Amino acid sequence: MNKTLTAIALIALLPAGAVLADDDDCSVPRNQWQPRDTALQVAQDNGWIVRDFEIDDGCYEIEGRDSNGREIEVKLDPATLQIVEMDYEDDDERGGANNPAPAGTVAPPQNGLFGNGALPQVQVN
Amino acid sequence: MKSLLATLTLTTALTLPCLAAARPVTLTTSLNNYGGDGAYLALYVTDASGDYVGSLWMAGGKSKYYKHLSDWNRATRGDATQVNGITGASVGAGRTLEITLDLADALFDAGFTLHIDAAVEDMRDSPNEVSVPLTTEGAGMPMKGRRYVASFAYDM
Repeated sequence: MNKTLTAIALIALLPAGAVLADDDDCSVPRNQWQPRDTALQVAQDNGWIVRDFEIDDGCYEIEGRDSNGREIEVKLDPATLQIVEMDYEDDDERGGANNPAPAGTVAPPQNGLFGNGALPQVQVN
Repeated sequence: MKSLLATLTLTTALTLPCLAAARPVTLTTSLNNYGGDGAYLALYVTDASGDYVGSLWMAGGKSKYYKHLSDWNRATRGDATQVNGITGASVGAGRTLEITLDLADALFDAGFTLHIDAAVEDMRDSPNEVSVPLTTEGAGMPMKGRRYVASFAYDM
């Protein structure tokens, strides 16, 4: 429960810029970034085991495991070190993600673009 | 006999335009050697006023990454069912994706535009990588993308 409340509070505190940023998930000037060690301290405080630490889409990105051993990918705002995004890598296997049906398993959608519902032919060279 | 002929004529007249109302179109997308993971590509169509009409292809099967195809994601509100049956694997750097689809004739010379959004893990997102009006005249004419797409063309 505490964790949920913390997550909600963190989301509410997200700076508007992070939400409105066009291409990047985070858009913080370099001179406002916290040091990497401080970001890694956040991981430690949350009980995460860090396997990979890098910068992606303007955010700090941590890959590793949470305190329950689940694979995670977390993006932190580099200035506030708040969580911008947290993905569980096993969502796909758990059926948590709504992935689309691959081509060939169902007919193309009836969006008016396709003719008679013939299956697409695909090759990658 | 007369009524049979009349029925036959009528059904033939009704069937023929339907058969002629679509044609196979090949969409060829060649990627640059950008030196990264496989690219997610969303190919979709907007109408003359710029409104999203529908998707033609999604290269990349995990919907959690679709938000990086930001124009497509905004237009569809991330609705993965838009690409049911038209989704394949992401496309590697330097590779060429060739898709042949049975497309409605009404798509051509009617103000529709084909767009490609592209995204690569750990690299910059590239919405509206390609934007090309769908015309019979433009068929077979390759055009360049902005970041990841070396060339795109549609042939019929």
